[in-house]
Formats: sequence, structure tokens, C-alpha cells
Amino acid sequence: MTKVEFYGYGLPDIKKKELPGKLVALEGTDGVGRSTQVALLREWLESRGYAVASSGLKRSSLAGKGISLAQEGHYLGDTTSCLFYATDLADRLEREVIPALRAGFVVLTDRYIFSLRARALVRGLDPKWVDNALGFALVPDRIFYLRADLNHLVPRVLNSRGFNYWESGMDFLQKRDYYESYCDYQRQIIDQFDHMASHYNFHLVDATRTVHQVFADLKKGIHKLVKGMKPISPPITKK
Amino acid sequence: MARLPSGKRLPGKLFVVEGIDGSGKSTQLDLLRKWLIGEGYCVAFSEWNSSPIVRATTRRGKKKQLLSPTTFSLIHAADFADRMDRQMLPALKAGGIVLADRYMYTAFARDVARGVHPEWVRGNYAFAVQPTVALYFRVPLDESVNRIMSGRPKLKYYEAGMDLGLHADPFESFKLFQKRIVQEYEKMVDEFGLTAIDATLPLTEQQELVRKLVASHLKGALKAERSAWREVLAEEQLYGRYIRDIGTEGGRA
Repeated sequence: MTKVEFYGYGLPDIKKKELPGKLVALEGTDGVGRSTQVALLREWLESRGYAVASSGLKRSSLAGKGISLAQEGHYLGDTTSCLFYATDLADRLEREVIPALRAGFVVLTDRYIFSLRARALVRGLDPKWVDNALGFALVPDRIFYLRADLNHLVPRVLNSRGFNYWESGMDFLQKRDYYESYCDYQRQIIDQFDHMASHYNFHLVDATRTVHQVFADLKKGIHKLVKGMKPISPPITKK
Repeated sequence: MARLPSGKRLPGKLFVVEGIDGSGKSTQLDLLRKWLIGEGYCVAFSEWNSSPIVRATTRRGKKKQLLSPTTFSLIHAADFADRMDRQMLPALKAGGIVLADRYMYTAFARDVARGVHPEWVRGNYAFAVQPTVALYFRVPLDESVNRIMSGRPKLKYYEAGMDLGLHADPFESFKLFQKRIVQEYEKMVDEFGLTAIDATLPLTEQQELVRKLVASHLKGALKAERSAWREVLAEEQLYGRYIRDIGTEGGRA
């Protein structure tokens, strides 16, 4: 059961006190391996008979495309950006996440309000304003914070997509150099996450280790959480 | 005096009009705009729900009926934030006059009528500049509904408040929805010091009132030499045949 609890004023139409599913958030900076772990966890849970849904930033049918388009133009103000992402998250919560929780799914979300909060605060928005705006968000059953320091992040980013304009904070750091900007930006973001860790009850996962080790930790944590839930169909066992 | 939320005064002036659909506020604002331009002021204009980078998303949400009260509220706030950044603040910092057709009070009225928490939506707009004057065009519901229905026979889904499930008939739903919005506006007259204008008065009388209310705040507003080329035309005996194509008329800021 997910206790229906919000960070702020909440969503107006949710009257239920509890939802049978579980909401699990994976947080952490870019390149820390969140998406990989979400994909692995999803398959693992499904193989054990749980119904699983996953979600992530910019995946709402309402605002996902709009945000990407706005980012291409490299002009998205800080307040506008925060509200645009909030729209995206609220849409996914109302139309995907909460219905899935109501149906008894385990919902894995790749990033949650904490990424939005970190980005906004690094860019100098007022924390009180940010918290009010994001106050519609449901409190997850568990938040895993995948933490890796910069030394571990850089090679991973180079090996995948390379440095991205927004993930390098090029919009506000006033540096000409992508690498320096990236380092400076991610350091600030990690700082913000570290500050949030105890207040929001993050479960710290050391993501400097191998994918396998991180997965083992996450499995253990999630196993505890879903233990009491009944798998929707019996697991398929091949002998 | 337009002020930042911090209380800091901005050199520019911000005049906003508010009121339900069919209150005639846009007509009055348009007349005011033409007058101000005629007086030589630099006038920027910003319309509700018109940000080039957000509007497409709002349109998509309306067309596909994806919007909930919460996302409706957030996406309009995003639109407003973008216009604040790009249209309104720069003009106000430069000392110009900004005219806004609907402002945050529209969100406070509509979104709360849709059921979001009043404090939540007010908090979301905390970054908004405090207007110099906010005019509220007060009109009896029947009158505004008549005006709307005579011009436009078909109501859109969200415009009619169909998402609230108040009534199966769009027209009845629209009336119930507008009634709720009016109640919210009326509460805000005192809360935000809106200046109410009787929107049943003849157009010209209303405009006289509007100008009078605005005029006392115009001191120090930025003026610009407009149509300076007219003198050249006169002197050189030219017609200005191609000048009309470049759109200097109309005071686009």
C-alpha cells in the first residue's frame, strides 16, 4: 500500500487514503546509471510476477515534446522551465502513475521532483517557490539516491552521449567550455542532492561500483518493499 | 508603479485588464493601446496564453483533452513565466508601458474555479510583477453570456468548463463555470485592490474612465519618436510607398 501523502497542497481530485501499488523513485545526477537500473529492475520484478510500470522526465504525452522543442531553441527561462517540467510530472502522475498504483503496480520512476528541485535551486530560484509549485507530488514509498562523484561520472558521460548543453549548465554558468561547465554544474547538483538526502529520507546507493553491485543493492531494497504485495500472476518457472 | 515581488520599483508601468469572457476588456485595452501610442509612449502588449514556446503544448492539451485542473494551471503558469521573462520584464525595466490582456488574476479565478488550492496557485505566481493598475471589468453574467453567444455559437471544451462535469450541455456548463469565476474575481477585488469598472456602461464612457485611471500614472514613462520618417516624406515629396511594408505603424514593441 502507498499511503497517499503529498509534499504540499497535493492533487485536488485524489480522495483515496491508500493505493495498493508502490512508488519507487530513483534519483541521481546524469550518467549515474539510473535508466539502466530501472530497466533491469523492471524486468526482474516482472519475472517475479509483479505488474510494473515505469516513468521518467519528459515522457508525458502532454508536455514531453513541448519541453524538448523549447530546449532546442536554447531559450527556456528558469521559472518557465521548472513549471514546464512540473506540468510534465503532474500529467504523468495523474494519468499514468496514480492509475497504475491504484491497480496495484510497482511504479519505478527515473528521476522525480528532486532532480527538478536540484536544477531549480542551482539556478537560483527561491526554494519556497519551488516547493510550493512541486507540492502536488505524491510522496514515494522509497527514494533511492544513486550517488557517484565527478571522477566516476565523466568517463560514463563520454562513453555514452557526450556533454549536453543543459546537462552541462551551459544556460547559466557563462563558460565557453563544455567540460568545465559540466564539472562545475554536476558538482553543484550533487551538492543539492546531498543536502536533500536526510530531509527527504533518501536511501543512499553507492553508484561508483559496478552495475551488478548497484543492482544487487536495489534489488534488496525493493524486495523488502514489495514482499507483502501479492504478485498479480504466479511467476513463470521453467525447470 | 510596477513593482517586483521583492518590492523594488520598476521604471515602467504595467496596466492589466481582467474580467470574464465577454466583459469587453480586450476592446477597452485595444482602445487604450491606440491612445497611448498616439500620445507617443512605448507600449508593449502581452496576451494570456501566447508564449511561443509554451502555447503549442497548451493547444495540444486542449485539443486532445489531456488537461486536468493541476496541469491546466501549471502550463498556464509556464506560459506566463515565459512572457514575463521575455516580453513584460524587459519592457518594464526599460521604462516602457506594458499592457496585459489578462494577468495572474485570471489563473486565480479560473484555476480555483476548477478546484485547485487557492494558496497553491497564488504561490506559483509569486514571481509576477505587481501591476501599476489592475482593472476588473465587472459585468452581469447574463450580459456577458449573451455577448459571447451572439458572436460565437460554439463553445470549446475547456472554455465551457466541460472538464468539471457541471452540466452535460456546454452552454449550461459555461454559465455555471463563469458564475464560479465571477465569485473568485469578486473576492479578489479587495484582496489585490483591483479597480472595478462597470462594463455595462457605453464603450466610450468606459474608455474615458480607463484613460483617467491610467493617466495619473504615466509620468516618467518612456516615449519614443514614432514615424519620424513622415517628415522626410513631406520634405522630399515622397509617398512612402514601401515604408508601409515594414510595419513600423501600430507600435509593435
